[in-house]
Amino acid sequence: MTAPDAGLHLSISNVSKRFGATTVLEDIHLGMAKGELVTLLGPSGCGKTTLLRVVAGLTHPDTGRVELAGRDITRAPPYKRNVGVVFQSYALFPHLDVAGNVGFGLKLRGLPKADIASAVHRALSLVHLERYADRPIRALSGGQQQRVALARAIAVEPSVILFDEALSALDRKLREAMQSELRHLLTQIGATAIFVTHDQEEALTMSDRVAVMYKGRIDQLADPRTLYDQPATAFALSFVGQSLSLKGKVVSSDADGSVVETSAGPLRVPRRFLRGSSVIVATRPEHVTLTAGDNTLTGTVVGATFQGSRSLVEIDAAGTRLTAEMPGRCTLPERGETVIFSWPLSETLSFSGEEHA
Amino acid sequence: MKQLAIIVSWAAAVFACLFLLAPLVVIAAASFSPTPVFDLPTGGASLRWYSRIGTLDGFWPALWLSVEIAVLSTLISLVVGTLAAIAITRGKLPGSEILAAALVSPLMMPGLVLGIGLLQYYRSVGFTASWSGLLLAHLVITLPYVARTMIAGLSRFDFTLIEAGLTLGCTWPQSIVRVMIPALAPSFLIASLFSFLASFDNYPVSIFLTDVRTKTLPIKMLQYIEEAPDPTIAALSTIILAGTVALLLIADRAVGLSRMAGTAE
Ligand SMILES: Nc1ncnc2c1ncn2[C@@H]1O[C@H](COP(=O)(O)OP(=O)(O)O)[C@@H](O)[C@H]1O
Ligand SMILES: [Mg+2]
Repeated sequence: MTAPDAGLHLSISNVSKRFGATTVLEDIHLGMAKGELVTLLGPSGCGKTTLLRVVAGLTHPDTGRVELAGRDITRAPPYKRNVGVVFQSYALFPHLDVAGNVGFGLKLRGLPKADIASAVHRALSLVHLERYADRPIRALSGGQQQRVALARAIAVEPSVILFDEALSALDRKLREAMQSELRHLLTQIGATAIFVTHDQEEALTMSDRVAVMYKGRIDQLADPRTLYDQPATAFALSFVGQSLSLKGKVVSSDADGSVVETSAGPLRVPRRFLRGSSVIVATRPEHVTLTAGDNTLTGTVVGATFQGSRSLVEIDAAGTRLTAEMPGRCTLPERGETVIFSWPLSETLSFSGEEHA
Repeated sequence: MKQLAIIVSWAAAVFACLFLLAPLVVIAAASFSPTPVFDLPTGGASLRWYSRIGTLDGFWPALWLSVEIAVLSTLISLVVGTLAAIAITRGKLPGSEILAAALVSPLMMPGLVLGIGLLQYYRSVGFTASWSGLLLAHLVITLPYVARTMIAGLSRFDFTLIEAGLTLGCTWPQSIVRVMIPALAPSFLIASLFSFLASFDNYPVSIFLTDVRTKTLPIKMLQYIEEAPDPTIAALSTIILAGTVALLLIADRAVGLSRMAGTAE
């Protein structure tokens, strides 16, 4: 058991959960400051929803602790937590109209009618639906229903709000609009929020920090910038942003780093590994130039696409497909042309090949 | 060719409706006949047969019995059928489909067979109380209607609604009462309606289980027709018909007729 941090608003420590023989959450640690937005990013089935449910009190963890504002709520029922949830399916009440849904939690708390009405109006105007108060739920579009679900969750002024893939059902344009609106709204109400998504772009845009989840574990918890520049695992690298990577074996190692022999040639990495161990060497496409440099390889151009501000060049290096990103203005190599390309040692990432099978 | 097919289909639909409604129209018309002949009225209308309904021998006890049995069996079926439907749709039981089929199967069984079967069964176990026997038999009739409707309703019900209720401050019982039951209200209404009507107008099962003192309204009505075929029975039928139509209209206002007939979506 790690001692809970005093300054944290929401603290999840040591949380594990099994369903039968499958471990769905394994030793999860996550501490959040008041008003912070953390995104859980990971492929389907990695345990994101389960972790949200643990925080909401809808699922009890097998081990570990959940604390909210210093209070242990691990075993507290949902209705004693004041944690709001925007469900993936929205879970709006079909027998109530928009105002009835938004005011549901307030009515339950026994507030006077006038107070409920003004709180409902306030919540609905935050999501720009004040004119829809007396519509039935089924008369709303998907985007509007999503906003009603959001208004319903914030109307009771929860101290933590959880979003389970709340935007994934919306079309791209609406989703992008909602992302910035939601971010703005959360800052306004100052709630601590956990946002679940499997869309990395959404994670990078929205969050203060991103927790990359893989098979029930948090692989890396970092701000978007660090996550992109210094991915902690090969999984975090492949899940966030574009990358090119090559697998190889360490042939020599010294104080400055190691040399890895890959199918395309030897590559230097700025990190020490045991000789003979299997290592993944990687970089981001924008660090690649078509000149010689620290880590230089030769390959055949298999395709080049102009995309305005940038161009993508696909290179086959001894059977491995790599993508390099060039500034839009540069002259692109021809298809079939043999090119040398390189990236600097400082932008070379490396991961132990045994980390993930 | 396609147009012809549509015209033929429409004609068939209209004909089927007329065919189904014609007897009801005849009965309603006959009930206003001023003469004691069971005939279509030609010389003016009269309400004299309606005023005679209440004077029929044993009418009020029979009506009361039928209403009582229909209401009770509907209420019990609602509770039992809903719980069974929850178990079937949510319980992840092995063989829940077989259970569902068994629960709904009396719907497909001829009432006559059911009646004889129950009579034999009651006799063999020495169960002679006719009122409770009748109620039990009507449970067999109404339970399938409720179970079928509630299985359909629950399989469409999103159980995260209950969890949404919890996160908004409901305790478990509150979430059931404030979220699940009102959200399922349309299903409850449809189930009650079908169940009540199935019990209230049942003849083939009841006939085997009644004695001199416990006779349901449908049985009594057949007896009246055999004794004195005057338009009083037509008047009574018309009232029952009007009551049924009123119930359907109320239900339609509440949930929509197409959902009741099972023709929606
Ligand atoms: N109630 C449950 N019983 C059994 N297995 C479950 C249950 N809930 C989730 N799981 C399993 O746990 C894993 C993680 O699920 P979930 O948290 O929903 O993942 P995600 O939201 O990241 O897609 C999945 O393999 C899922 O099948
Ligand atoms: Mg999920």
